[in-house]
Amino acid sequence: MSDDEHHFESSDSGASKTFPQQAGNIRKGGFIVIKGRPCKVVEVSTSKTGKHGHAKCHFVAIDIFNGKKLEDIVPSSHNCDVPHVNRLDYQLIDIAEDGFVSLLTDSGGTKDDLKLPTDDALAAQMKSGFEEGRDVVVSVMSSMGEEQINAVKEVGAGK
Amino acid sequence: MLGFSNDSAGGGVGAEDLAQLQSTMRAIELACSYIQINSNPVAAEATILSLHQSPQPYKACRYILEHSQVPNARFQAAAAIREAAIREWSFLATDDKGGLISFCLSYVMQHANSSEGYVLSKVSSVAAQLMKRGWLEFTPAEKEVFFYQINQAILGSRGLDVQFIGINFLESLVSEFSPSTSSAMGLPREFHENCRKSLEQNFLKTFYQWAKDAALSVTNKIIESHSSVPEVKVCNATLRLMYQILNWEFRYSKGGTRASINVFSDGIRPDNASARKTECIIVQPGASWCDVLLSSSHVGWLINLYSSVRQKFDLEGYWLDCPVAVSARKLIVQLCSLAGEIFPSNNVQMREQHLLLLLSGVLPWIDPPDVISKEIEEGRSGSEMIDGCRALLSIGTVTTPVVFDQLLRSLRPFGTLTLLSMLMGEVVKVLMANSTDEETWSYEARDILLDTWTTLLASMDGSGGNAWLPPEGMHAAASLFSLIVESELKVASASATTTEDDADCLASVSAMDERLGSYALIARAAVDATIPFLAKLFSDRVACLHQGRGTVDPTETLEEVYSLLLIVGHVLADEGEGETALVPDALQSHFVDVVEANNHPVVVLSSSIIKFAEQCLDAEMRSSIFSPRLMEAVIWFLARWSFTYLMLVEDCNLGSNQLQSLPSRACLFTFFNEHNQGKFVLDIIVRISLTSLMSYPGEKDLQELICFQLLHALVRRRNICFHLLSLDSWRKLANAFANDKSLFLLNSGSQRSLAQTLVLSAYGMQSSDASNQYVKDLMAHMTSSLVDLSNNSDLKNLAQRPDIIMLVSCVLERLRGAASATEPRTQRAIYEMGLAVMNPVLRLLEVYKHESAVIYLLLKFVVDWVDGQLSYLEAHETAVVINFCMSLLQMYSSHNIGKISLSLSSTLLNEAKTEKYKDLRALLQLLSHLCSKDMVDFSSDSIETQSTNISQVVYFGLHIITPLITLELLKYPKLCFDYFSLISHMLEVYPETLAQLNNDAFSHVLTTVDFGLHQQDVDIVTMCLRALKALASYHYKEKNAGNSGLGSHAAGHTDPNGVFHEGILSRFLRTLLHFLLFEDYSTDLVSTAADALFPLILCEPNLYQGLGNELIEKQANPNFKTRLANALQVLTTSNQLSSSLDRLNYQRFRKNLNNFLVEVRGFLKTR
Repeated sequence: MSDDEHHFESSDSGASKTFPQQAGNIRKGGFIVIKGRPCKVVEVSTSKTGKHGHAKCHFVAIDIFNGKKLEDIVPSSHNCDVPHVNRLDYQLIDIAEDGFVSLLTDSGGTKDDLKLPTDDALAAQMKSGFEEGRDVVVSVMSSMGEEQINAVKEVGAGK
Repeated sequence: MLGFSNDSAGGGVGAEDLAQLQSTMRAIELACSYIQINSNPVAAEATILSLHQSPQPYKACRYILEHSQVPNARFQAAAAIREAAIREWSFLATDDKGGLISFCLSYVMQHANSSEGYVLSKVSSVAAQLMKRGWLEFTPAEKEVFFYQINQAILGSRGLDVQFIGINFLESLVSEFSPSTSSAMGLPREFHENCRKSLEQNFLKTFYQWAKDAALSVTNKIIESHSSVPEVKVCNATLRLMYQILNWEFRYSKGGTRASINVFSDGIRPDNASARKTECIIVQPGASWCDVLLSSSHVGWLINLYSSVRQKFDLEGYWLDCPVAVSARKLIVQLCSLAGEIFPSNNVQMREQHLLLLLSGVLPWIDPPDVISKEIEEGRSGSEMIDGCRALLSIGTVTTPVVFDQLLRSLRPFGTLTLLSMLMGEVVKVLMANSTDEETWSYEARDILLDTWTTLLASMDGSGGNAWLPPEGMHAAASLFSLIVESELKVASASATTTEDDADCLASVSAMDERLGSYALIARAAVDATIPFLAKLFSDRVACLHQGRGTVDPTETLEEVYSLLLIVGHVLADEGEGETALVPDALQSHFVDVVEANNHPVVVLSSSIIKFAEQCLDAEMRSSIFSPRLMEAVIWFLARWSFTYLMLVEDCNLGSNQLQSLPSRACLFTFFNEHNQGKFVLDIIVRISLTSLMSYPGEKDLQELICFQLLHALVRRRNICFHLLSLDSWRKLANAFANDKSLFLLNSGSQRSLAQTLVLSAYGMQSSDASNQYVKDLMAHMTSSLVDLSNNSDLKNLAQRPDIIMLVSCVLERLRGAASATEPRTQRAIYEMGLAVMNPVLRLLEVYKHESAVIYLLLKFVVDWVDGQLSYLEAHETAVVINFCMSLLQMYSSHNIGKISLSLSSTLLNEAKTEKYKDLRALLQLLSHLCSKDMVDFSSDSIETQSTNISQVVYFGLHIITPLITLELLKYPKLCFDYFSLISHMLEVYPETLAQLNNDAFSHVLTTVDFGLHQQDVDIVTMCLRALKALASYHYKEKNAGNSGLGSHAAGHTDPNGVFHEGILSRFLRTLLHFLLFEDYSTDLVSTAADALFPLILCEPNLYQGLGNELIEKQANPNFKTRLANALQVLTTSNQLSSSLDRLNYQRFRKNLNNFLVEVRGFLKTR
């Protein structure tokens, strides 16, 4: 059995914002682009166009950045756009007066263009962790040119 | 005195009392009227509730019943009597108990003509419930007093109203004594069972006799009068009562006579009758009922009554739906299903005469079918006709087809089967004519008649093929079947253009399946005609498709072919879910004159369908004819057919009967076997599968049918595996699976199933080595792609790309499928496959920590792989696997503990919760599988070999995942179940390791056990109780042996603030006692609870003593104090209970606890 079918060369990652994928293959929990927005699929149902027609998929999805609900119907053998959703972890190094946060990147640089999240629980966790001097790791989700802090976690608390 | 004994009836109520009674009455009346107008209902309900809950409210209730003008208040007063009396029963004086009942009885008799029927029936049901409550304590003489009164009433000497009341009371009484309708009384089941037994043996027949007499006393009036008379009401009540009594689930009537009478089958089928699925209850009251039901011309009287009244009201269409007509018909139908020892075994005629009598009574309802159905279509009520169908069903249930058919012959020139066929034919015609979606009488009639056929024919189907219908019956079945098929096809073509909703469709599929199953039975009753008929229909439709190709819209014909495929599939083969499907007996035993396989109708039909299916290999045909929906039917048919007919192994698929020698049968069997057409057909099937998988992208349902049903059914048969591996087409499929991109597009379940199927087919290799090599070759590409990916230096970025995520998911599904196909022959290869991806799995777990869908797949793969492998592994391999699982658990928990995620929308948040729940469930399953190594172990290591201590590992695992399990998550039933079964298993098998857990983990585990104890689910509570038993008995035994047992966990400790925290066992002793005494639980739990309580008491005798004293002190009533003290004393001392934890003692304690609870819960638990 030959194995020259799939390669994992690191092409310039992030260059492409979306990838085509057959609609029938997008499941609940996966991502999809609907009306130009990156979304997470929360419901898929299939139906046929007429009794002896072809299957089509009905997606209900939530915009991953603003939480809005979107829907789409696509023939299941057609391709849909699937967004490239990247999630990176950074260490929190500062929270500025104006609400901007300072994050430490893997390469040692800083990333200063994100604000504290509007989600109360998340922001509170970040602030308290930061004020008490614990190591706080934030995870930043980015897709199709947008990004936001979407999770936070303390590591090795108190050590 | 409670004001109910007779002497206080006249007076003796003081003025002060009177004032108070009046004010209570007014309060209740006010509350009732408030509820009615819905003003401040909460307060009003509270007032009424306080009456229900007040101690000994009888006087007030009685006063309200006798004086209040507000019927609702009287109703509530009656309810309050019931409530209070049931609660306080055990300490009411005997006189008062009787007094309450006779008060209720005389109340209803005195007010028999009152217009508020609901108050009367409430009071009468209160009387019935109280009578049941005291049933086992009243002497026969006491009961006699009540029943004399009732009997007098029913005889009619006190007027019609009282007569009605008497019957009504018996109705309530019988329904109280019947387990399914009895009201809860907080008493053990045994009590209810004893009551039921006593009623059945000593009273039920008498009641029936009374009802009969009462009915006789009024029927003359009804028949003679020309308008409806009040007697009708009484008559209706008696019919209802008789019906209800016959509905009783008779249990105790068979006993004595059975041994003496030889088991002689007089046309009744053996006990399997009850196993069949019908809506018809068989009435088996036992031999003693013969005089009441049979020899006293009861049936004749009933039929006569119905037909004469029916005749009288012939012109009044409404009469058929009158209560009395409905009750009479119900009773007649019920009598049709009379069976069992009531018919003397030496008197077959008696039985047949009984049925004949009934049939002749029912006949006017259904015969002639065409006239009747026309009348109904013109507006007559269909209820009588439907009851007629029910009667046929009942008769069919208690007879054989032959007896059934014979019955009608003395009345008509044809048999009952012909009538049944004509009747159903009419119904089908009506259905065809008005194909609306409305539920009409014809739907109901069709279902009942279909049940009748099923009932009659199902018994023949399993009888070895020797029982055939009489020729006329066969003819009837054949003509009915062709009518049915015609109507099904008509419905199909009519529905071809409508687009149904998916949800509708799914619901109707299973209903349709059931219906088709019944049609198949009818078809098989007359295979000589029906199989050629189906073959002809099929070739007609196919010809029609070919002719019209490209010019006519084929949709309607496609839908007809679709329906036909389903029908033929059902006729030719049974579902055979989970067992070897046999060729239906009827198909084996008929067609005796066929000698050449090519002419065998079954072969002809099968071949023509396979030939048709083969055409889908042609791309052009595919696009013009083979729609996805049609392909679904084709695949479904092939799966079902091949499982029954393809490459049969002699003696395995034959079933045991005497038909072995039939030449027709032999040619049916050999035609599709491996030496004949079998291999050729197998090849076609595989090619069709591959083509369909590749050419119908995105058709999920079709793919699932191919993977789950068709291919899976093929590899389930070992002999087929040998042939599969030699086929080019199978090699192509395997090759496409490994290399072809388009198979990566299948949906996840199908991927998994396909991998599993291909691995299973490796069984067909000559040797174990070859099998392993086959699997290795098949999966090498998947494993290496995972390894390559995980070694990629840019993994972190690469991994997030959607195409890579998809590839990884796909590969993981396939690995999981392969892992779940582990068998001894291929275990090596699959072990190595898992070994190769261990490190990649851990790396992927790291990079995909935010991608929960992938994480879940990773976990599930590991779960299935460990499950398949663990029992085969040698010690050093086990160690490797265990270490791997540990790293996995650690990594998973480090990613998830303390993480807070953004909650943009509630849907996403719920999704996240569900994902976490699924992950945890997978982890729990992993731990359970790891546990199993200690139970099932096929490795060659001797037991003495120092192997990994599994319990340590699992405890370590629990340590890691328990912090992730929150009480919130335990609300998911499946997770809860998995978790507690793991916990109870662990505690039962390895209690010693629990003692070694650190304080946090230990208390977390026990917090969850405490939580589990308070769940509704009996299984969960049982598991928690077993865990407690294990814990306490371990501690007790260890202590006795001089060890520390649970040590500090059990001893309790004083925290720095000087507050004493009691030990874990003390806490549970407290909780469990409280649970047992004060909470609601199923009585099933008592013995498990006893097993937990006993060692707990032994562990903490002082605390137990203290708790007991505390309980006693709390009781205000001195009577209760002594009773409780005695009961507590008895609980731990009676039955020679000693303090060792052996089987015998556990048993004794169970008995003691049961008695204890019966004794004390009555007064401890007040509501």
